[in-house]
Amino acid sequence: MTTFQKLVAMTVITFIALVVVSQYNHHADPTGTKTGVAADQTVIPGGQAKVPLSQVGLNQLANETGHLAVSINFVWLLITGFLVLFMQVGFAFLVTGLTRAKNAGHMMMMNLSSFVIALLAYYAVGFAFQFGGIAPIANLGGASPLNGIFAHGTSGLIGIRGFFLQSGNTYDVGVIAFFLFQVVFMETAGYIIIGAIAERVSFAGFLIAEIAMGAIIYPIYGNWMWGGGFLSQLGKGPLHLGNGAVDFAGSGVVHATGGWAALALAMILGPRIGKYREDGTPNAFPGHNLGYAVIGTLVLTFGWMGFNPGSTFGATDLRISIVAVNTLLAASAGAVTAMAWTNAKWGKPDISMTCNGMLAGLVAITAPCAFVSPAWAVVIGIIAGFVVVYAVEFLDKRAKIDDPCGAIAVHGFCGLWGLLAVGLFADGTYPDKAVGWNGVLQPVKGVIPALLDGDKLSGAHHALGQLVAQIIDGGVGFGWAFGVTWVLFMVVRRFVKIRVAPEVEIAGTDEGEFGQVCYPDFVLRTETQTFRIPEKMPIGTATGPPPAQQAVTSERT
Amino acid sequence: MKLIVAIIKPFKLEEVTDALRALDVSGVTLTEVRGYGRQRGHTEVYRGAEYEVDYVPKVKLDVIVDDADAQKVANAIVEAARTGKIGDGKLWIVPIETVVRIRTGEAGSDAL
Repeated sequence: MTTFQKLVAMTVITFIALVVVSQYNHHADPTGTKTGVAADQTVIPGGQAKVPLSQVGLNQLANETGHLAVSINFVWLLITGFLVLFMQVGFAFLVTGLTRAKNAGHMMMMNLSSFVIALLAYYAVGFAFQFGGIAPIANLGGASPLNGIFAHGTSGLIGIRGFFLQSGNTYDVGVIAFFLFQVVFMETAGYIIIGAIAERVSFAGFLIAEIAMGAIIYPIYGNWMWGGGFLSQLGKGPLHLGNGAVDFAGSGVVHATGGWAALALAMILGPRIGKYREDGTPNAFPGHNLGYAVIGTLVLTFGWMGFNPGSTFGATDLRISIVAVNTLLAASAGAVTAMAWTNAKWGKPDISMTCNGMLAGLVAITAPCAFVSPAWAVVIGIIAGFVVVYAVEFLDKRAKIDDPCGAIAVHGFCGLWGLLAVGLFADGTYPDKAVGWNGVLQPVKGVIPALLDGDKLSGAHHALGQLVAQIIDGGVGFGWAFGVTWVLFMVVRRFVKIRVAPEVEIAGTDEGEFGQVCYPDFVLRTETQTFRIPEKMPIGTATGPPPAQQAVTSERT
Repeated sequence: MKLIVAIIKPFKLEEVTDALRALDVSGVTLTEVRGYGRQRGHTEVYRGAEYEVDYVPKVKLDVIVDDADAQKVANAIVEAARTGKIGDGKLWIVPIETVVRIRTGEAGSDAL
């Protein structure tokens, strides 16, 4: 027999053997229904009884069941946290794709360094400021050593336990699992700013912004919303504003914070050279790789499957399926809207704006994702698709704020829209009345479902109060993130060169800031546009030729 | 001998190549170039903002032929590259002194 024939014969024999054997194979539990029963907790493998069937045994059983439920929630929290971590990859692709090739290495380096430096800042102080004094989280086991908050009366202002994950007995599995999930959220707010300050910010200026984001800007507003601070308590104070300000997964806490900080930085840095013509009309610098932008958008969408459903802090809350589907619906509705609307406005569907539309839907559904039905999620996504297109045009043409990747439009404007959407569309089905939200034992309900349901006076008051709380939250969030970033960088720019020299900007920040280019083996196209350096650059702009050129001249002389 | 330089629309390249092959032209050099003529570039829209593409992508062909063939080849390129619309490109003919085939050292018409 030839080798081939032997091979065929052996395959046939193996196949027949498998079929025959399978007839005598006793199926253990192919459906999975018999796996995981009482015996798993009462009998030690080998047949010996582990627990006597007495009250003591029942108590132990209950303990083990509780431990299992918390274990499931731990796994859920960690896995969704890892998904959020992966969003960093998506964002790196997105913003690098939407900028020019000469800056690609700089963009990637900012994404990498924002991650590591803000993580350490958040570990040192940010986490303690944000979550130093929270109510115990039932899904993660209840007891919490994070019990210190600095407050004015009942209005919490800043947390004070958990510095370096050590202070106040916070060396604890529950606290540290919670830290992982929260630190990746902070990273999201941290990297949002890159999109708006791209192609001109200096690396040093950027690192200062990241430390400020991880240590101060994000955690303190985050404390007011999620750490038991005063915005979350608006429902309990004298005003009884609904359930207090509600932001399920962070349209406001994460996205609007990043977006408004980005707005302040983009205004202080000024537009890129050549962005505005002498008559004030905006010029466009097409991104160098729209493929990257699309990949980034899809990776971000995938990561958002951790961002929103993970914010239940537990898989035992089965609302997670609705949260996930709402998120996908809003993302798709936002993308379709932006695609159709740019086609109607500009004659062709714009690829990068379709990406922005998808992200706009995701950002907007992030606050209301647990509180609305799928139909409202689509409505929220559609409106977000319009908001982002108009916000990009407004910033570009009216406000003349240069936002290369649309970060302010997507995260700032649509984040604000997401906060308001809770007060408008939350349908009163979640959470359960017995559980409540922010300590108010009522489901979260917005104005429009209250109207449609014909709610009586107290219900209408609750819904209207919710909308008012959301508006207050949006205003406070804007004031904090924009205000602090603005004040900080008006000071910092006196001491640090926060913008690269014009020559570096024109030659590319890869070469000027790092002496390395992202694409050394590719011939980069000569720029189709020529640039004249403005006579007056913003304060904090470096001067002088790029370092590499200096080196060459010194060699020759 | 003559050097024929033709700057044409990129999507007309295949038809021009066919025309040159039909005339048994022995060699062509192609360069991707960008430029503008009377049409002065064009405008595109990116994220709602218009921007000028000052230099439009074109293809440049260098063909060296015998004096006797120059007009015939030039006509063939012009015919094949024409769309009748703005931006069809330019063609010019330059006299050249000599050509050397590097492998053998042959010079003049033998080297074509």
